Amino acid sequence: MPFADLLAAGFARRALLEIVIVAVLCGAVGTHVVNRRLAFPTMAMTHATFPGVVLAGIAGINLVLGAGLFGVLVVLAIAGRPGGGAAGARAGHSGRGGQGGAGGAGGAGGLGGGADRHVTTATGVVLAGGFALGVGLLSAQDGFSRDLTAYLVGSVVTVTRSDIVVSLVATLAALVVLAALRKELALVGFDRAGAAAAGYPVRALDLALLALVEVAIVTSMPAVGTILSVAFVVGPAATARLWCSSAASMTVTAIGLAVAAGVIGLWTSEHWNVAAGGTIVLAVGALFALSVLLAPLVATWRGRSAPVPAPS
Amino acid sequence: MVGTLLAPFQLPFMARALAELLLLGLLGASVGVFVLLRRLAFLADALTHTVFPGVVIGYLAAGTAGITPGALLAALGTTALLTAIVASGRVNRDSALAILLTCFFAVGVVLVSRRASYTSDLTAFLFGRPLTVDGTQIAWTAAVTAGVGLVLLALGKELVFVAFDPAGAAAAGYRPLVLDLVVNTLVALTVVVAIRSVGTLLVIAIMIIPAATGRALSDRLPVIAAAAGISGMAAAWVGLGISFRVSLSTHTSLAAGPTVVGVLLILYLAALGIRAARGARGRRAAARDDRRDQETQAAQETQAAQETQAGPEAAHAVR
Repeated sequence: MPFADLLAAGFARRALLEIVIVAVLCGAVGTHVVNRRLAFPTMAMTHATFPGVVLAGIAGINLVLGAGLFGVLVVLAIAGRPGGGAAGARAGHSGRGGQGGAGGAGGAGGLGGGADRHVTTATGVVLAGGFALGVGLLSAQDGFSRDLTAYLVGSVVTVTRSDIVVSLVATLAALVVLAALRKELALVGFDRAGAAAAGYPVRALDLALLALVEVAIVTSMPAVGTILSVAFVVGPAATARLWCSSAASMTVTAIGLAVAAGVIGLWTSEHWNVAAGGTIVLAVGALFALSVLLAPLVATWRGRSAPVPAPS
Repeated sequence: MVGTLLAPFQLPFMARALAELLLLGLLGASVGVFVLLRRLAFLADALTHTVFPGVVIGYLAAGTAGITPGALLAALGTTALLTAIVASGRVNRDSALAILLTCFFAVGVVLVSRRASYTSDLTAFLFGRPLTVDGTQIAWTAAVTAGVGLVLLALGKELVFVAFDPAGAAAAGYRPLVLDLVVNTLVALTVVVAIRSVGTLLVIAIMIIPAATGRALSDRLPVIAAAAGISGMAAAWVGLGISFRVSLSTHTSLAAGPTVVGVLLILYLAALGIRAARGARGRRAAARDDRRDQETQAAQETQAAQETQAGPEAAHAVR
């Protein structure tokens, strides 16, 4: 199908609009996720958001809003705040005990320790338990499998006008917050101790970032589903990181790549009549794979060292 | 309560489900202990997702019989790939893992979406059907459990060494990469045998949560492993019983797999509670010990001072 034909159908126009909006949000938030190495917590959040979607479906409220409310709880649990997530904090503690001193700044639970602490017991349990909870809730409903796939892998061609409005509002709000906090978030990301010493509310900023990630997950859910949304958040930003060396250029590139992957994926999906969530993620993956191969070559050709290697 | 735990399993299909889930509880728990020890939770999660396209392709090629071989091929292939990515450090490995696992998963979704029975197939692959396992499946699970147990017993010491001191182990001549590959292969095998009954998405729960429960209860590896195994198997039994009873007595069907995971979560929370209580008691006891130590020390010092004052002769005379 030529691309122009794709736009002729109303549902396809809506799908395209939704994908572009979500892509902008995910690209912008993903930059921070990749730079702070939050891929695993993000993964856990996508899984743990799932029961919220189901609950919202059962209660009959807007899925995105319902999942968003539930997502706030998930953020609290992962961040291990004394009030909301005592269990998470304690689990983070027990995980740390077994890690032979790897976790220096463990108090923040899922966040803040840096590279070595990316796998905490708490994150794993949140991830595994959240999914089971969602499936258990769903299985108690009628129409188990039909709804399930829509939540899990998305169905972008069925987005409604209200979905698009919700996505648009969420994206604009998230972009405003990101723009307002960009210096603070960058500072905390690169020099946590320094930011704390300079008097910035480090934990509040961590929470804000986690909340933004949750917004991105929830907003992208109708389009790509809970399982695959992590790819839409992490993928374009990780690809952009291979090409860019500043946070600003990385953000712009990530947004561009996300939009490109969304459009390519949607077109492929229409053309071959397969699930759109899957093809969008495959487009993200293809761009990443290409960049992994090409970025060093281009860098050598330009005669300078690649800005690549993120030490793992 | 006893009725809930015994009566349902007189039905043959429930007895088979119980046997399968008990084995998987044991298998998942023993592998999970090493997954947590090596901090490989994300990698294990990635494996559960990357096996998915293998399952789908196997099913499309050869029906139900093709699921296990397809999953096995995908598992072994992606194990090598993932181990290599994690070892290389060429790109930020968390991001690379996230992209890789979602891409593999997406391949599976795309392939399934071509089929007419899309949603029902997808659900079966993702969440399994514990009540339809047959004797062959149980035999496979038992064989894998025994094999994995043997490997863990044989390599346990080396795996622990590498987990706690990778640099030291490498210096001592062990190869962390090979041992990582071994653990990842065990994870992959666990995922493969668990697919038919608990599905690709809940396998991660039966690996991570029992091990986390054990970890919350103790710092000693044998105790952790034992607690993990017991909680895994207990949750399988109780969860199946509850699921059966609820589905029968009320008219809501409660899926077996998620119920088992729910019981696992409850056990984990209980273990956290025990740990917290024990921690509080431990701190009190430590404080008491400190006080006693100080008192004894003070008493000894006083005594020593008195003896010095009285002089050696006096002490001798007293004796």
